[in-house]
Amino acid sequence: MKEAGEFAWLLAFEGDEAHANEAARGAAASIRRSGLPGLVDIVPAARTVLVVGSPELDPARLAAFEAAPLHAAPVVSLRTHEIPMTPDGEDLDKIASLAGLSPHAFVEIFVQLTFTVGFLGFSPGFAYLYGLPEAFHLPRRGTPRVAVPAGSVALAGPYVGIYPASTPGGWNLLGRTAHRLFDLRADPPSLFAPGDRVRFRL
Amino acid sequence: MTTRRGLHVVEPGLLTTVQDLGREGWASFGVPAAGALDEEALRLANRLVGNAEGSAALEITLIGPVVRAAGDLDLAVVGGSFGPAPGRVLRLEDGEVVSLAAAPGTARAIVAIGGGIDVALILGSRSTCLSGRFGGFEGRRLQAGDFLAVFPASASPLEEARVDLPQPGEGGVVLRAFAGPDEAEFDAGARAVFWGTTWKILPQSNRMGLRLGGPSLGHVETASRATEGTTRGTVQVTAHGHPIVLLAERPVTGGYPKIAVVAAVDLGLLTRTPPGSGVRFERISPTEARSLLAAREARLRALIGART
Repeated sequence: MKEAGEFAWLLAFEGDEAHANEAARGAAASIRRSGLPGLVDIVPAARTVLVVGSPELDPARLAAFEAAPLHAAPVVSLRTHEIPMTPDGEDLDKIASLAGLSPHAFVEIFVQLTFTVGFLGFSPGFAYLYGLPEAFHLPRRGTPRVAVPAGSVALAGPYVGIYPASTPGGWNLLGRTAHRLFDLRADPPSLFAPGDRVRFRL
Repeated sequence: MTTRRGLHVVEPGLLTTVQDLGREGWASFGVPAAGALDEEALRLANRLVGNAEGSAALEITLIGPVVRAAGDLDLAVVGGSFGPAPGRVLRLEDGEVVSLAAAPGTARAIVAIGGGIDVALILGSRSTCLSGRFGGFEGRRLQAGDFLAVFPASASPLEEARVDLPQPGEGGVVLRAFAGPDEAEFDAGARAVFWGTTWKILPQSNRMGLRLGGPSLGHVETASRATEGTTRGTVQVTAHGHPIVLLAERPVTGGYPKIAVVAAVDLGLLTRTPPGSGVRFERISPTEARSLLAAREARLRALIGART
């Protein structure tokens, strides 16, 4: 466990990223359920959980969650989101050819996959989805686009993501969806939560 | 005839936004905290005008706004030196116009208004999230012609009080900081450069982060780094070896290594320091940083009292 602020700690998990992330999500859920006094924010990410607290928070109590992230019941999300997608991204041809496939064949395979929300970050409602086969892992673009259109479904490294709003971005654009991912009037405002399953359909 | 009490924006200044103490607890949905960069100034400015310490106020930047009162209003400018009466209550009569012009060498201040600014609470806060274009006044910086309504004042202002927060000196500022979670990834040479250099605040800085100019800390491997949660005051280092101090509106996650964390008690001073100024870091332990924060809280409590 490392100090990330006066009252903020990073808990880290081992193993390949998908497993480390599962442990991080488990620990985050366990900490949230623990009701420890002084918890302010709990942020699971790729391999870590950031816990931000008030002076009341006792770091010694947090260390236990790093040692045994799933010491409470394992977290299984029953939510699966079906996201309609139009496969007309500017980078589709490049993505498909790097995978050695025609654009049509790539999309046919992509919509058979089931992804898991690993964590959210970058911008409100932006989810990092795991479950992309390694053959489809692509580096992000050398130069980010100034404005990626809202609803863009995109790939970078091991992740699939959907841009909830138009922002700068360096991911490879596969397609787009009109599905609303972040709505301030909804509770919670983000459609996706860590652990949710996501599938795309045409 | 009744007109709504509030503030007309005659000239908006460079970057004027509505801010409070920010929205905590939403980071796992990707929502930045936002809120005033200078929390201490926000709490004290609100206290001067009789508000609860976390009431929504204006954060003003480098070029202050010109405003006109609708109804009689109490204002308090705290933080940097802007307008005719920084650190004290400024009473405006209905129709009165005041220019909150910056004194040389000052960067930001908070302008609290008696009653507090009446904009919608979104996810528990009235702060503007510029990157998400929501919160505050229409999710954006203020423009000429905007009108900010205020709530009825709830308590009397402290007319005799004066607040003086530390200001940057001619040579810049010295900030206390402690080792960041990724310090071990930097070799001894890079660490010596980080702690030994007088950095310069670059003009590309914004509410997400202050960029520091100076020598490169060397190439940092970032491609394979795992993305993780970020905290306010963290000094992250880009792939080209340049430090950035993360502020209130930083993205909730990031992938750069973190060499240090600026002590929370010194973050306000940093945000009062204008671009071009020097910044040096003085190493303390996290325990010392916690003690300093506890001491400041005790001082603020004594000044602000139990009102929240």
